Amino acid sequence: MKKIFEIARWEFIEKVKTKTFIISLILTPAILIIFSVTPTLLSEQETSQTKVIGLIDTSETYITGLKEELSKYKLNDVQPSYLSINLTTKNKSLNEMKKYADNDVIEEKIEGYLLILNGGTDSVAIDYRSKSSGNLKDIKRFEVSFNDIRIKLKLNKENINPQILKFISRSVEVNPIKIEESGKESKSDFLITFFSSFIFIMLLMMMILYSGGMLIRSLVEEKSNRLIEIIVSSCNANELLTGKIIGLSALGFTQIVIWFLIGISLVSTALVPIELFTNIPVILIYFILGFIFYTSMFVGIGSVVTSEQEAQQITTYLSFLLILPIIFVLPALENPHAVYIHILSYIPFTLPSFMMLRLNISPVPVWEILVTTTIMIFSIYFMIIFSAKIFRIGILSYGKRPALKELIQWIREK
Amino acid sequence: MLVVENLRKEYKNIVAVDNISFKVEEGRIFGILGPNGAGKTTTLRAVLNIIRPTSGKITFNNKPITNEFLNTIGYLPEERGLYKRSKVTDVILYFAGLKKMPRNKALSEAKSWLKKLEIEQYADKKIEELSKGNQQKVQFIVSVVHDPDLLILDEPFTGFDPINQTLIKETVLSFVTAGKIIILSTHQMETVEKLCSDILLINKGVELYLGSLANLKKNFGTNTVKIEFDGDAEFISTLNGVQNVDRYRNYAEIQLKDNIDPSEFLKMIVNKIKIKSFSVLEPTLNKIFIDVINQSHNRQV
Repeated sequence: MKKIFEIARWEFIEKVKTKTFIISLILTPAILIIFSVTPTLLSEQETSQTKVIGLIDTSETYITGLKEELSKYKLNDVQPSYLSINLTTKNKSLNEMKKYADNDVIEEKIEGYLLILNGGTDSVAIDYRSKSSGNLKDIKRFEVSFNDIRIKLKLNKENINPQILKFISRSVEVNPIKIEESGKESKSDFLITFFSSFIFIMLLMMMILYSGGMLIRSLVEEKSNRLIEIIVSSCNANELLTGKIIGLSALGFTQIVIWFLIGISLVSTALVPIELFTNIPVILIYFILGFIFYTSMFVGIGSVVTSEQEAQQITTYLSFLLILPIIFVLPALENPHAVYIHILSYIPFTLPSFMMLRLNISPVPVWEILVTTTIMIFSIYFMIIFSAKIFRIGILSYGKRPALKELIQWIREK
Repeated sequence: MLVVENLRKEYKNIVAVDNISFKVEEGRIFGILGPNGAGKTTTLRAVLNIIRPTSGKITFNNKPITNEFLNTIGYLPEERGLYKRSKVTDVILYFAGLKKMPRNKALSEAKSWLKKLEIEQYADKKIEELSKGNQQKVQFIVSVVHDPDLLILDEPFTGFDPINQTLIKETVLSFVTAGKIIILSTHQMETVEKLCSDILLINKGVELYLGSLANLKKNFGTNTVKIEFDGDAEFISTLNGVQNVDRYRNYAEIQLKDNIDPSEFLKMIVNKIKIKSFSVLEPTLNKIFIDVINQSHNRQV
């Protein structure tokens, strides 16, 4: 036990002190903060300038109404969002008006203009012509305003009570509410669910890749200068393996704690939505189990590697395996009950990421959580045994990397 | 006492070590010699419990090798190198810790060793900041800091300048006085001649010679004496017991028959000519090494 502790302490302390660790400690959350803060900022973003919008309507039916409706939109409650000007001229043809207005757009005198065709008839059409294909929010507003006016005009014509008019023009929106296991409810926001799933999977992936890479590099160093011989003439291979896994897990745990603290302080600044942290305790369990699982695997694989370049290659291959869940974030959000998502959340390699994903999207029954954590614990156990067999021989074989056939032989050896 | 009996290690299709046996007693330095790839390192690794022998028995003080035994071994591998980015003292403490040495004791021992090997000023430096020779000293300390009972040194003197070689040699000899068991593997034949009392000579995993160095020299010596003299030495070639004479004006190399002792020969000639000097020519270990290895090759051919 003392030797395992010595090894774990060495692996932990010597790596905590490295520059790369400190950089990753700061850089990783920095990248993720950008990911998580961006949607909040994006949804709040609003242009601060009044946009000049031209109106062309040869029938002149809608001009006054539209002007009135558009002036209701305000930037920060004072400044109007739009300044609408009538570009319709009596003695010009529609084509001429279009030509002049297009020119105004190109010369940036106006942001864009609304072209109302067949204004007087039922087959009315409306174009918004601008340099860019248009801000979705603006177009939505033009649409709403125009339709309101159109309905209003029609109902006025038919002499219908203005109260009914008000009723019709108020549409009711569907409010998505997510029901949590405990009966709590929370506003479900697509962006937040997407980014929180994304963040946890990314964090796990980056941590595994980072510490796995570090582990392999240090094993390569120990092998190349035969330090490994001094070590295994002091303790047995299993003690070394266990020590390394514990040391690295402690390192990973330190990272999680620090990141968690950063996360909490960000919630208090309201930059990161609190919803990110709803399932934290369970997610943390998967996070830690996943990390230990992959670390155990890296120890086995790392013992076979004989050079820095090989180490890099192997880390690259493994990163593909780890990126896989990220590809599934979007489809999973659309259909969280898809069979393949459930299957993937029972395979040890993808289990942690997919369970974290599922926990974020919809409530997961307790029995599933228990079954998956049990699977994970057993997988870790078997992965350590498997790695230990390769490790025992791998650390003492130099030169050529063993073929798959040899590896299988090592595993079979008692 | 370390006893190795009938050690054999096979890899897939090669026998690295075949039926090797030897004993090393306290306070002796045992030399393992052989050309590159002879199986020296495999033998050492088996003793160190790094590899499991295919067959054979290794005991230390009549007990089989256990994990506890590993704490009493010091090992200096041939390839050198330590954690480059770590501090000298930290590295020494780590390895001492792996030998279950209490941390405060390890610290005081580390300090005294750094001082003994004249590198105490580097205690807080990173390994990579040290010169190659000083890095090797640190590695030597790593192998001895826990006061091992069995010390295995693989090429301990390479890479040191003559002054430091002497320093390390003296340190190794102090272990002999302290009654430790030392196994030395080296290609430096003069070192073996000066330090080792017993040797094992192996080639291709097979024992070629096992025993004392003196015996080896006797076995492989050609029983030749060299004299410097005044007078007429012509009679020597007619003497009984003389095999061959290589005579110059007042100097001769005489090969004696196997049953004639050099001192007997001296008695035969001492009254007949004036002898200025008399010496027995011993073959160097270097020459024996080359001869024996060549012989074993020829035998196989």
